[in-house]
Amino acid sequence: MKKLLEKAAKVADQAEVYSVRQDSGSIEMRNGIPTDISASIQSGYALRILKNGMIGTAYTKNLLDRDQLVSNAMDSLKGEVEAGFSFPGAADLPDSAGADPGVEKMGFRELHTYADGVLEQLRGKVEGQIDVYAGRGVEEVSVVNTTGLDVCTRSSDMYLYASLLFPNTEASVHRLHIDRKAGAFPEGKLDDLIALYKSGLPEVEVDSGRMKVMFMPDTLYTLLWRIGAATSGKSLYNRISPLQDKRGQRVLSEKFSYYGHANDPDNYEQRYFDDEGVPTRKHMVIDQGVFSGAILNLDYATKLGENPSGTGYRRDGEPVSALPSPYLAGGRIAPGKRSLAEMIREMDRGVIILGVLGAHSGNILNGDFSVGLNPGFYVENGEILGRVRDGMVAGNVYDVLQNVVAIENHLNTSLMGGKYPALLLDDVSVAAKK
Amino acid sequence: MLDRLGSMLEGVGAEFADIRYEIKRETLIGFTGRELRTIGTNTTDGYVVRVLKNGGFASATVTREEDVPRAIQLALEAAETITATGGKQTLLEDTPVITDTVVPYLDGDPASIPIEEKLRLTAHYNGLLLDQPEIETTNLSYREIGRQKSYVNTEGTAVSEEVVTTNIMGEVIARRGDLIQNIRIAIGGADGFNRLLDRDSEFIERGRLAGRLLDAEPVKGGSYDVVLSPMLAGVFTHEAFGHFSEADIIEDNPSLREKMALGSRLGSDVITIVADSTIPRQIGFYKYDDEGVEVKPVTLMDKGVLTGRLHSRRTAKAFGEAVTGHAVAEDMRYEPIIRMGTIYVEPSEKSFEQLLEELGDGLYLVDGKGGQTAGENFTFGAQYGFIVKKGKLGPMIRDINIMGNLFSTLSSIEAVGNDMELSERGGCGKGQLNIKSALGGPHVLVRDMVVGGV
Repeated sequence: MKKLLEKAAKVADQAEVYSVRQDSGSIEMRNGIPTDISASIQSGYALRILKNGMIGTAYTKNLLDRDQLVSNAMDSLKGEVEAGFSFPGAADLPDSAGADPGVEKMGFRELHTYADGVLEQLRGKVEGQIDVYAGRGVEEVSVVNTTGLDVCTRSSDMYLYASLLFPNTEASVHRLHIDRKAGAFPEGKLDDLIALYKSGLPEVEVDSGRMKVMFMPDTLYTLLWRIGAATSGKSLYNRISPLQDKRGQRVLSEKFSYYGHANDPDNYEQRYFDDEGVPTRKHMVIDQGVFSGAILNLDYATKLGENPSGTGYRRDGEPVSALPSPYLAGGRIAPGKRSLAEMIREMDRGVIILGVLGAHSGNILNGDFSVGLNPGFYVENGEILGRVRDGMVAGNVYDVLQNVVAIENHLNTSLMGGKYPALLLDDVSVAAKK
Repeated sequence: MLDRLGSMLEGVGAEFADIRYEIKRETLIGFTGRELRTIGTNTTDGYVVRVLKNGGFASATVTREEDVPRAIQLALEAAETITATGGKQTLLEDTPVITDTVVPYLDGDPASIPIEEKLRLTAHYNGLLLDQPEIETTNLSYREIGRQKSYVNTEGTAVSEEVVTTNIMGEVIARRGDLIQNIRIAIGGADGFNRLLDRDSEFIERGRLAGRLLDAEPVKGGSYDVVLSPMLAGVFTHEAFGHFSEADIIEDNPSLREKMALGSRLGSDVITIVADSTIPRQIGFYKYDDEGVEVKPVTLMDKGVLTGRLHSRRTAKAFGEAVTGHAVAEDMRYEPIIRMGTIYVEPSEKSFEQLLEELGDGLYLVDGKGGQTAGENFTFGAQYGFIVKKGKLGPMIRDINIMGNLFSTLSSIEAVGNDMELSERGGCGKGQLNIKSALGGPHVLVRDMVVGGV
């Protein structure tokens, strides 16, 4: 990395090298037996150079020819892509927790033992098929630049995922456990999953209409994706955000607060710097319903005349080929005061969304969503009656998030990243086949 | 390269092993509005190793050549773990040993076109979009991906194939006050740069459509009879049926596998569905898959009856069905999985006007906006549509997503049109991105679909 940076420094005003190395393995156990095991060791390097207010970019996975990479960045520079920003200087960041030795050294046999342990706890307790997935990974991310920054973080994760399929279908309920350290499923979590499964066994037909809807943590990305798009520096700079010129105004229910906390020690993917080397911090986006902070990378922070928010990440596809763009890592919705059981009891008539299909299909920028329930459980008078047959939930986030009834008092790690409570909304449109 | 790969597998200590090396060359030019956001050409590479040992079949991927021995070791350990823990026992279907080098047909090799010319063309189309009424901005990219794939296995197959895709695609965004609407656009293919030329009218039309959406009404949620446009019929076919014809989706679910037995009637007798990646000049075209098997056309459904399935060598053996050449990886970071390539509904006899007449009251839905499948349930979005009353097109509608179930929806297809269109871009995200997932068909009339409105 340093040699590459030195070469780039000779032809540019400023240069930055980002590198990533990932070492991972996974096992799939479908219908009770190991069906697939795979391993992956991937690396990559991305170079950005600034010269005369322009930016050039280049990347490769296998750093065999540093001169070629610098040459590619110089060719890119000829396109005259404007860049008003500078790379951040040296930062005195805390040491990250590092990778867990147990995860780092874990072989396939040990991973199988963990997965099999989940299976053993579930076997014989449900009618349908049981699938279990397990994986481990270690990642090292480094950013160095010619303005004095030299930061590196090493992290690990191990996950266990259990899925219970309803008889003769592929529809399922599931539970994820993911942590920085190696370990089994926390006690009680799988019993909760079995109880949930049993309550959804009957298939019920539901009349279309407006009713209470509860988004479970794994489904909240449907709403947060749209809020993220509207509060992104890219949308605000290009004036295509429904929240344009609404900074400081109440735009959602005052019960609702949304923020990023990438450096939360409780975060298995804890980061003290983003992919541009900017220090991370707790970053409020919606504070008690008020649009308080945009999600910015270096480029859009400069364009909008704001300070960088430590939210520039290489997210779209291969990390080295994706350019840093605004992204809220370590997403959180502030927890409320009710337990999940209390929230269900509050539902006179409604749907609990346990999984969604098609969250990416709607008009995301405008805040519209229209998702299939996969599955959704129907509730009447505080009691789950079964899972909805062919149902959809639709709305606009800026409307439905005005009607927050209650927020769970607990943060759950979501399958899509971040930690969220369940969220109960009122007066949401449900369409179903009957 | 093929000889070098062969030597890496020597003495591997397994019944079967294969290795794939890929060099991926990407050119990307990206605009947001009138601002050029990125431009450049870059190259990446890497290796994928698979081994079959004592019935255990496993894979490992690595970036660097010096890590290939480690990849082989990891794959062997994984295969041994599968066997030792009572896991799935794998056999591979026999296939002909092939030695071949495939050079793609290209009408205008993009590698020989200067990047300045690509930039000029992209900027021109971007300008056409931005010049239409009420357009606020665009996200438009030129994307060229060349994959030089070299594949060798221990049976003696050694295949080298280059696949090149070129696209100009993105979205155009219209705004009026707080209301924001967008329309997608994509042109391109796997047959060279010249396909991208002289397409002004399509960009102008898409820009105007985005503006018109500002006056469209959100659809009301409920159950509707619908006519789907050719592109949307393609998305519907891909999501509602295509994924279930991929053997790896159903192989480990006994109940689903039973329901999907060949010979079962799943659809009405007007529907025939084909997967054919041998159609030349289409984005889904390739000759060999990523385990060195020549791809073949497959009739998946014939007049509503299941007649074929897409396979890798492993699943073909497990199902006792013919191998089809559909094991495809996104790139060198992934082992191959079963992918559709080009899937479409075969055209029939009815004109678009006849379909609208048969529809009576309902919705005419146009162009796909992505879809998703999980288990037997699926959703897909339409970019826009029209209310239909007594067979006549009425007001424009927006915010349209549809949900259905595999085992109930295909039997609701009532009529199939006589036109035909295939997509110019892919983008299926079944674990890995498949930029060569072409789809299409004629107009199709479907009864009683659940549409989630706002």
